Amino acid sequence: MTELAENPLLVGLGPRRTPEPCVLVVFGASGDLTRRKIFPALYSLACRHLLPERFAVVGVARSDWSDDEFRERMEHAVREFGRDDFKQEVWDWLAEGTRYLSTDFADESGENRLGALLNELDEERGTRGNRVYYLAVPPQAMETVVTALGKRRSTQGWTRLIVEKPFGHDLESARRLTQRISRHFAEEEVFRIDHYLGKETVQNMLALRFANGIFEPIWNRQFIDHIQITVAESLGIEGRAGYYEEAGAIRDIFQNHLLQLVALTAMEPPIDFTADSVRNEKVKVLKAMHTPGPKHVVRGQYGPGYIEGKPVPGYREEEGVAPGSMTDTYVAAKLFVDNWRWADTPFYVRTGKRLPRRETTIGIQFKRAPHPPFEESATEELRPNLLLVHVQPDEGVSLAIGAKVPGQGMKIRTVHMDFMYGGAFRTELPEAYERLLLDAMLGDQTLFTRSDEVEEQWALVDAIVAAWKRDQPAFPNYAAGTWGPAAADDLVHRDGRNWLRP
Amino acid sequence: MHAEEWSGEDVALDDVERALGRLREESAHETEGPDLRTSVMTHLAWVPAEWHEAAMETLAGLGERHPSRGILLFPDPAAADGIDAKVSILAFPLSAQRRHIAAEVVELRLRGDRAKAPASIVTPLLVSGLPVFLRWRGRPAFGEPAVEQLLDLCDRFIVDSREWPDAPQAYAELPFDRTACSDIAWRRTEPWRLALAALWPGIADARELRVTGPAAEASLLAGWLGSRLERDLELAQEPADRIEAVAVDGETVEAPTEIPSASDLLSAELDEFGRSPVYEASAQAAAR
Repeated sequence: MTELAENPLLVGLGPRRTPEPCVLVVFGASGDLTRRKIFPALYSLACRHLLPERFAVVGVARSDWSDDEFRERMEHAVREFGRDDFKQEVWDWLAEGTRYLSTDFADESGENRLGALLNELDEERGTRGNRVYYLAVPPQAMETVVTALGKRRSTQGWTRLIVEKPFGHDLESARRLTQRISRHFAEEEVFRIDHYLGKETVQNMLALRFANGIFEPIWNRQFIDHIQITVAESLGIEGRAGYYEEAGAIRDIFQNHLLQLVALTAMEPPIDFTADSVRNEKVKVLKAMHTPGPKHVVRGQYGPGYIEGKPVPGYREEEGVAPGSMTDTYVAAKLFVDNWRWADTPFYVRTGKRLPRRETTIGIQFKRAPHPPFEESATEELRPNLLLVHVQPDEGVSLAIGAKVPGQGMKIRTVHMDFMYGGAFRTELPEAYERLLLDAMLGDQTLFTRSDEVEEQWALVDAIVAAWKRDQPAFPNYAAGTWGPAAADDLVHRDGRNWLRP
Repeated sequence: MHAEEWSGEDVALDDVERALGRLREESAHETEGPDLRTSVMTHLAWVPAEWHEAAMETLAGLGERHPSRGILLFPDPAAADGIDAKVSILAFPLSAQRRHIAAEVVELRLRGDRAKAPASIVTPLLVSGLPVFLRWRGRPAFGEPAVEQLLDLCDRFIVDSREWPDAPQAYAELPFDRTACSDIAWRRTEPWRLALAALWPGIADARELRVTGPAAEASLLAGWLGSRLERDLELAQEPADRIEAVAVDGETVEAPTEIPSASDLLSAELDEFGRSPVYEASAQAAAR
């Protein structure tokens, strides 16, 4: 972006961030992610003129499609999943630079054909050898593609590699993948995507904490009783048995999204908002988390139940799932961050499938007022102050405070002060993938996970999973449509607390 | 979207405040739980008679994007003293949520001498702690009490100098030293400024700018280019209703494709808060 600094005419022309010319190459282009997220996000960016003028997309997959067939499918995807109204001229612009290459990438000829196509696009579209490779491929294909790309990386322009989760299956495989990637790509070129970090409300957590003078002084063990983070899904595994049987809730959500939310909640203020400053602070939190003992982790698996009044099968009855599967679809844990700010302050976290509703919240439960000068009966309906950050679906923040009930006498009840995103800013929130794709094209790694973060996350998960090998819980242990196993309630009840009702 | 309305003649401000409270409550009965009140700004507009229609059209396209408390002042100094009011609550659904956001619109017709002291009428109606954006329709008579009083109240002063008969000379009167100022005519030049910026560095030694368009936009564009390049630039302007063509030293600049609507333009101004040194330098250069 050197032009920005040199061109005096661009000063003051808004916070428009347009990347340099480039080609985006999507591996796994016939998959669901490309259809549901990547192309709709590209289309939204194109609608807002945020893509470079000289831009091209190449879809790479095994399916035997032509360029036109791929474009047609992606047009349908944009019409179905895009958040913007379909505008033919915007689509035509995007489609004009869209190509498709059918190859399984295990043979040399596929690599050669891709190289030739990219060179052709550089000539035709003026993309200057700049490449963004998006690896939306299964873990087993990751190493093959990375090695092939590394060997033939462009000698002109810059290269960026977007890697979709899972980043390995455990610490060892994550390290192996990192080593394989680092043979050919520098860490500054690698963008490990965790789409949660692209959500506006997750970024708003940083704004809430570090742009408001009132919160930071009380954001510590002295004033906060405990923190609860819930990532609840009402969906089941949606035909992804092959992946989910291997991953379970602990690898699917806990290892990445949930631990990232803990890190953002607990991190120290970074000195600035550059990628490394933010990620350095997150890593410190992950390093400071001590491994919870078996009593502090609860796993569960859903049985048959009801979602929105409709009967749904149990996990073991889902297509492709082994009848005696011991895969976890629910995890709750009590975590501690052993540092000056958070010592002895529990972080209760939980995630699960087939819970009553889709909801992601971070609850900061403050300590009770030390000596309320009211009669006990006046405050019986009063709960301690609670700051709730709604990550999805009702994006916003609410603060529970005590207020006097109008009328005679002194009766105090808990009421909520709400900030809803849609109430203050009537603009639609961008999809996480829009922000992240654009950031990757701009080379901004702030919202991407660094290899040491990933390794710290896996170290914690490996320790939890190792303990699980020693016992076999009686699965299923919660009915679909409920808030998880009874043992998860016990986890917080033992400490005299309750789960917040999301 | 649903709406609740109340209106009255010869009213007191207490009547307006009570109507706002009551309408908000009534509006909430139609939804689950109370409507959320705006929490972003008070949007004040001074709308002389000849601008009524245009102002209402712009506001109609704006309400949902900026659910502020809007206070529209219609001065009518020739009429008998008094205030007539119309209060509306527009409740817009929050997408994917079970609640509404309430935008409040207060229209006040300031009759007779009431039009001379608008600040005393508006001050009790401002939402506490929130910034005040003042949109002035037409050419403000700087130095006159109404302008001076409302300038003291606002955090951002928004005009459209295309509505001024004496642009660009009148830019010299803009109160840059008192409040953040912005001009919708300046915002209209943005796509052209981007197009011109794309010509860098070839444009660095430009000597002449030819613009087919309104005087306000043409002079702001020339003021901008000259002040950014730190050189004297000759402007040749041919009148037109909107910028139709721009050429630098005889070379035609490729026209931008997007033409924002009046609501889009005001909406963009309401998204800005601080001063714009680039705009201020451009307006000052244009006035010279």
